[in-house]
Amino acid sequence: MKLHNADKTCWNCPAIDLAGKVDFRACGQSAEKFEKRVSEDSDIYIMAECHRRPELGLFDPISITFEQCPEWQATPYGYMLQNMRVMILGMDGYLGWTLTLWLGSLGCEVSGIDNYSRRDWVMERGSHTIVPIARMTERLHAAKEVLGLDINFRRMDIMDRARLRGFVEEVKPEAIVHYAENPSPAYSMIDAEHAIEVQRNNVLGTLGLLFIIRDTVPETSLLKLGTMGEYGTPLTGRPLFEGMFPADAVLHWDGREWSMGGELTPRDPVSFYHVSKVQDTFNIYEACKYWWLRSYDIMQGVIYGVHTDQVSADPRLRTRLDIDECFGTVINRFVAQAVIGFPLTIYGAGEQIRAFIALEDAMQCMTRLICSPPEPGQYAVVNQMSGYYSIGELAETVAKIGRKYFDLPVKIQRVENPRVEADRHPFEPIYEKLPKEFGFEPRVSPEEAVYRMFELLTRPEIKERIEQKKHLILPQTWWSGIKKRVETIEVFEEAEASEEPVIVEQPVLE
Amino acid sequence: MDVARRFPKNNSRLVIVGLDGMPYRLIKNLAEKGTMPNMKRLIEEGVFRQMESSIPEVSSVAWSSIITGTNPGVHGIFGFTDLAPGTYRMTFPNFNSLKAKPFWERESSRRSVIINVPNTYPARSLNGVLIAGFVALDLEKATYPRSLVPQLESMDYRVDVDSQRAQESLSFFLKDLDRTLEARISAYRYLWHEEDWTTFMLVFTGVDRLAHFLWDAYEDESHKYHWAFLSHLHRIDEVLGEIMQGMEDDDSIILLSDHGFELLEKEVYINVALREEGFLSFDREPPASLKEIGNSTKAFALDPARIYVNLKGRYPRGCVKPEDREAVIRDLESAFSALVVDGRKVIRRAYRKGEIFEGPFSPQAPDLVLLANEGFNLRASIKAAQLWGKDIRTGKHSQPDAFLLVKGDGDKGIVPKKPRVFDVVDIMDKLQRRRPI
Repeated sequence: MKLHNADKTCWNCPAIDLAGKVDFRACGQSAEKFEKRVSEDSDIYIMAECHRRPELGLFDPISITFEQCPEWQATPYGYMLQNMRVMILGMDGYLGWTLTLWLGSLGCEVSGIDNYSRRDWVMERGSHTIVPIARMTERLHAAKEVLGLDINFRRMDIMDRARLRGFVEEVKPEAIVHYAENPSPAYSMIDAEHAIEVQRNNVLGTLGLLFIIRDTVPETSLLKLGTMGEYGTPLTGRPLFEGMFPADAVLHWDGREWSMGGELTPRDPVSFYHVSKVQDTFNIYEACKYWWLRSYDIMQGVIYGVHTDQVSADPRLRTRLDIDECFGTVINRFVAQAVIGFPLTIYGAGEQIRAFIALEDAMQCMTRLICSPPEPGQYAVVNQMSGYYSIGELAETVAKIGRKYFDLPVKIQRVENPRVEADRHPFEPIYEKLPKEFGFEPRVSPEEAVYRMFELLTRPEIKERIEQKKHLILPQTWWSGIKKRVETIEVFEEAEASEEPVIVEQPVLE
Repeated sequence: MDVARRFPKNNSRLVIVGLDGMPYRLIKNLAEKGTMPNMKRLIEEGVFRQMESSIPEVSSVAWSSIITGTNPGVHGIFGFTDLAPGTYRMTFPNFNSLKAKPFWERESSRRSVIINVPNTYPARSLNGVLIAGFVALDLEKATYPRSLVPQLESMDYRVDVDSQRAQESLSFFLKDLDRTLEARISAYRYLWHEEDWTTFMLVFTGVDRLAHFLWDAYEDESHKYHWAFLSHLHRIDEVLGEIMQGMEDDDSIILLSDHGFELLEKEVYINVALREEGFLSFDREPPASLKEIGNSTKAFALDPARIYVNLKGRYPRGCVKPEDREAVIRDLESAFSALVVDGRKVIRRAYRKGEIFEGPFSPQAPDLVLLANEGFNLRASIKAAQLWGKDIRTGKHSQPDAFLLVKGDGDKGIVPKKPRVFDVVDIMDKLQRRRPI
């Protein structure tokens, strides 16, 4: 079968220096180096030089496909540059560490930075990762020992632009994955200091990064983590397109109509954290427009899970798992709650619908995107999710698996909703690009991922770590600014659990 | 210590000044009119001839022929574009693709300063200094030694004007042209004095750009930019005066162009003609590149009018059997000899490979190269929809009307009666050989 990126050409390849535009009719070349466009005019040529195959000289960048180029090798996720240099910003985090090992195992030369701020933020909230993780030095040592990986890590703050620039210049990454942001809506709503810290780190960190890319590696592709939460949940029920309106979207008004195709869709962020992600979107969109940078803005659904083959290979390679109100995502929190007999905390009516993706599937998506870089100047958005569910439904799913396979008496409770969000709303996300253009097929069902989490979290040493932070499960950060722990509205006993959740009878495990 | 310094005055100095695209007829006219008084003096004192360019008459081929003294079959440059062997992949041959040695690499005892010769990018080491001419994408790679780059940057040196600007505004383009020329003059002055050279070659490429966009301004005295056209050439003439003043008695000078210019009336698209005559098809309309060539294609063209038979075994989708090649070429010749636009014959002559190319790289040469009648500019163009068109360019290259001017000591007989671009190196050799040691 043809791989999804077989027909992409050097035009998309980060190993190419697009050297300039030449119009031989006038024997002239363009002085502007970043004037990069595949010309509609066959007499105006874009010239490319390949860093990896200098013997090709100057050539037309659309004339060699990934399939034809020996530097691009077939992998399960598409053709991938051999020893592709990928830099991961935020390498120590939940996703960053997982992706480091994942890509390293695929043969990428992985480099990365982190200033351990996630560890600090979680500690500041009085919590800890319930899956114990090793110090970075030990992680790197174990990655070498267990998986044979040489990871080029530097302790560094993304805001330290001089050092980051030096590191990028040294490594010359062919893709940069940007996970170095604060991922917490609740954290950004604690008070002014926290809101400012989140926006400073996220918005200014990303903005500085864009300048560094412009000046040092303009051909690299930037994979920036956004969130489905940027779109909000518009009560009109209009579909949540992938960043831009599709070509046939039309605006009608006052008896007239306009095509909306290609325009950014409205964003409706629901916390100051989400606002920071929206601001990033615009900054990246502009940078691609001004400087011909290339980027995927990845609107990721709510992530969950603990497993990939690499992180499960050794206790020292585990990635973190948080369960506090700021840094724990909903399914991860539910499973931890179920393990210690804490009724699963549904906010408000529990009918909020969110998009989700399992950790392993997210890694697959990221790899596919890295393998198929955008073209110069292209800002593209993907909605990275494998399905969408109501929070209530998910609680039922977790409860059922906990009861059935782990013999846990799981209860579900409704608590006050500290957030300002619609409890009941329409939700129609469009998530076609990853499956259609990048060959993504979800491999992990929620049931399977939840099952795996129970397996890990029911271990006594981990259960003990959950118990230690039980007091942090109920949220106390209100969007309104009040400081108080939310109160329980009602608790459902097992028998009262509403309808049977739709669930696979026997989770299919590898 | 420089090699050259160990052999002082073993031969006198040679200056070569190139004017890219400068027609013989234009020089003659401007010398007579008084716009180029120094040129007039040189014409009077030296040997001034019309010179034939290469075929095709494009800068990369012509200059490669000039600096190596060889035919494209020997130096391997057949156009601005070429196809990687066995593919339809477009490549852009540069200095690394040049198979013959330029004159400055043949005799390393002479210290050379080479400024702005087209198709010498990326620069490589020599006894002397080289700043490549267009197409040069990065000044660092265009300059040998690289230590010269900061100096050039401080002069705001640029290899080329941005010809896209002409599309936006001709007056903006003219300003850019002037700035580029002044920076080039600064660079030449600096190297003229700083370097202990024995060969100094300087090419002005702005003439070609000027002529592409403003040939009509030259022909029409009432044109808004007529004066601007003349003043650019007048400025170059001033530099010639300066150069002559800086020369010593036994120094020689060669002035030349790589091709001439004439008025462009219509662009004719050769691939469209090939499609209309059934030689060429594409899988997709309009095609993104030659790779989408149809399986039944018998011939296709690369710029400006190089025609290749789509031979089986040579190209991935080749369908013409070697034994049928001759018949296809005959069909092409008769099709193009009959090609008429607006009642006028477009093609002056179709040259077969064997007529114009000789040397080890001839097998890579086009099977047929077309030369146009006056006024017609030939383009390959795979995307054009019509047989002919016209954009803002008003000047086109002319093959027979380059010029050569030699002023040295001694016999005028070293310049052939009808010189061609391939003869220049031989003339240089003769000029230098007759020097007393």
